[in-house]
Amino acid sequence: MTRPDGLATLTAPSFAGRFLFRHDILRGYLLLSPTLVVLALAILIPFALLVAMSFWSMAGYDMVTEPSLGNYAAILEQPMYGVLLGRSLMVAAIATGVTVILSYPVAYYVAFHVHRNKMMWIILLTLPFWTSYLLRVFAWRVVLGYEGAINSSLLGLELIEAPLQAFLYSKTAVTIALAHAWAAFAILPIYVSLEKIDKSLLEAAADLGDSPARRFWRITLPLSLPGVVSAFFLMFIPTVGDYVTPAMLGGPDGLMIGNLIQAQFGPINNWPMGAALSLVMLVAVAVAGGMFLLLTRLVRR
Amino acid sequence: MDIRDQLGAVKDGKLSRRVFNRSLLALGISTVMVPVAGRRALAAPEDQATYFTWGGFDIPDYFTEYQAKHGELPNFAAFGGTEEALIKMRSGFMADVVHPCLSGVPRWVESGLFQPIDTTRLSNWPDVIPELYNVDYNMSEGKPWLAPFDWGQTSITLRTDLFEVEGEDSWDMLWDQRYAGRLGLLASGGDAWWCGAIKAGVPFDQIASDDAFEKISTVMRAQRPLIRTYTDDTTTLNQAIASGELVAAMTWNSSAVELQAQGVPVRFAQPKEGALTWVCGVMLHKDAPHLDRAYDVIDSLISVPSGVFNIGSYGYGHSNRKAFDGFDEATLRGLGLSKNPADILQAGHFQIPQSAEWEARMNSTWEQIKAGF
Repeated sequence: MTRPDGLATLTAPSFAGRFLFRHDILRGYLLLSPTLVVLALAILIPFALLVAMSFWSMAGYDMVTEPSLGNYAAILEQPMYGVLLGRSLMVAAIATGVTVILSYPVAYYVAFHVHRNKMMWIILLTLPFWTSYLLRVFAWRVVLGYEGAINSSLLGLELIEAPLQAFLYSKTAVTIALAHAWAAFAILPIYVSLEKIDKSLLEAAADLGDSPARRFWRITLPLSLPGVVSAFFLMFIPTVGDYVTPAMLGGPDGLMIGNLIQAQFGPINNWPMGAALSLVMLVAVAVAGGMFLLLTRLVRR
Repeated sequence: MDIRDQLGAVKDGKLSRRVFNRSLLALGISTVMVPVAGRRALAAPEDQATYFTWGGFDIPDYFTEYQAKHGELPNFAAFGGTEEALIKMRSGFMADVVHPCLSGVPRWVESGLFQPIDTTRLSNWPDVIPELYNVDYNMSEGKPWLAPFDWGQTSITLRTDLFEVEGEDSWDMLWDQRYAGRLGLLASGGDAWWCGAIKAGVPFDQIASDDAFEKISTVMRAQRPLIRTYTDDTTTLNQAIASGELVAAMTWNSSAVELQAQGVPVRFAQPKEGALTWVCGVMLHKDAPHLDRAYDVIDSLISVPSGVFNIGSYGYGHSNRKAFDGFDEATLRGLGLSKNPADILQAGHFQIPQSAEWEARMNSTWEQIKAGF
């Protein structure tokens, strides 16, 4: 609003403005609203569809939208689903466990012993992400394969007479590839939580006569546990449902639940069953995650 | 405007708002223009027809005619099995031309996604062998739903130096305990299940019965512990056979021919029970956005140069009878082909159209067996 002489006037805030000014919570939600809209459109609505679809069934190429518990009953009855789900949880848990244990020393080193060029170290840690995931999986085929790097060197050293078939097409191959590919997801959160630790606490412990091992056990580890927990979740949740890695490296005995879900949406053409399986996987991951959280709570006490 | 000057001005906090806005405007316009400019400079792929085909058929060699006419290749999309392709198209994927097989035609037509092919628009059509398309379910008022393109066999490629054949060639070779862990299989039920039926002795006209499901499941379950890998990727199979990781595998004609060309000692077996034979071809989407070019895709596929490549480099039969002229009888026999496709197709077991329910049941049973149940 301008006056004829060109100076702006201070206008009284409109009704809406005053209303917003007084209601903090509303303002907060307003600020969040773009995110909330995206969340609703991209996650909540598809999720609701998934839940609804999981109660449907198929007749030929057509979906029957009459709700029934048939899909869930089949998941309970047929051993295949349970076994594949169990295998997926197991492979993901082992891969995550191995990765977290191997990542901890790396994160520890960067947090406490690197003083110059820290940024370069952190960038180096993300190196595995600089190539496409598919290429990394293929690289493991080259390493583990029948004429691959391991077999060739063993043959060259005359340790074996014929190439070993044990490496490729197995659960082990899947676990190794997952542990390699997701390492940065484990290192970075642990690094952040280690970096935050107040060094004076460690000095105080040293002054009061704690040995380095005790210092680590009583100060460093407990204070870095949040990082370890988030590393666990960051890696465990996506790897349970992984599809590409078992498809490329798993062979007949290394298939995981993700491959079965893909088959439901692909050649089997039973989308409702695929939806039900996805939901069951979701619940299983949540339960496994909850158990892990409970465990860390107990350990912390 | 000097960039350096501006950076200096920003640093000193002296950049005027007008200058700042002007640079923002320039940045905005150039960002928006990048895709436009880029698109003009490159050839426009959205003008070409899209061809949705088996992995391995998405190569320039089949499109010499098309390329000569339009200067570009069609766009490609690939699938590993026809069932997967049909489901993808039913859920909205748009391709002008798609590459299913003859026995699938009734189910594909039922989806309502396709239109019969007007053969008068195909210059190479008069040379197409009629036996390959002239069946009741493929014809609609004299027009075919599917224009045949390739035909061949699903059989066993074996390493002649590593696999010792006892007696005659037979499907038993893929159930041979001596080679446990060194046998490979095509993952798609469209091949594997039907070969299982041959092995189990189930006649194809009875393949829909419960009894047939029981028998085929039994043989496929018995085979699973012997299998190193199930894959739809022929390259994976070929590499594994070439390295000796696999000594025998269920393949199409092309694996044996390509491996022989590389000097790998392999042979395409002629099992005494008969091989699985098939005819595949192309169908036209009813709302094909590039209809004229779609017809050019089809015409190019059934042309002689495409046929010569198909026979010579892949070892598949072709639908254009003139394509066979450059090959002598002995070469063709060596590839398991003939100028009279009927000789080969009837000597083997030819797939019979099945219902959607059957396909769903077969695929879910097959996926369970592959997973070990």
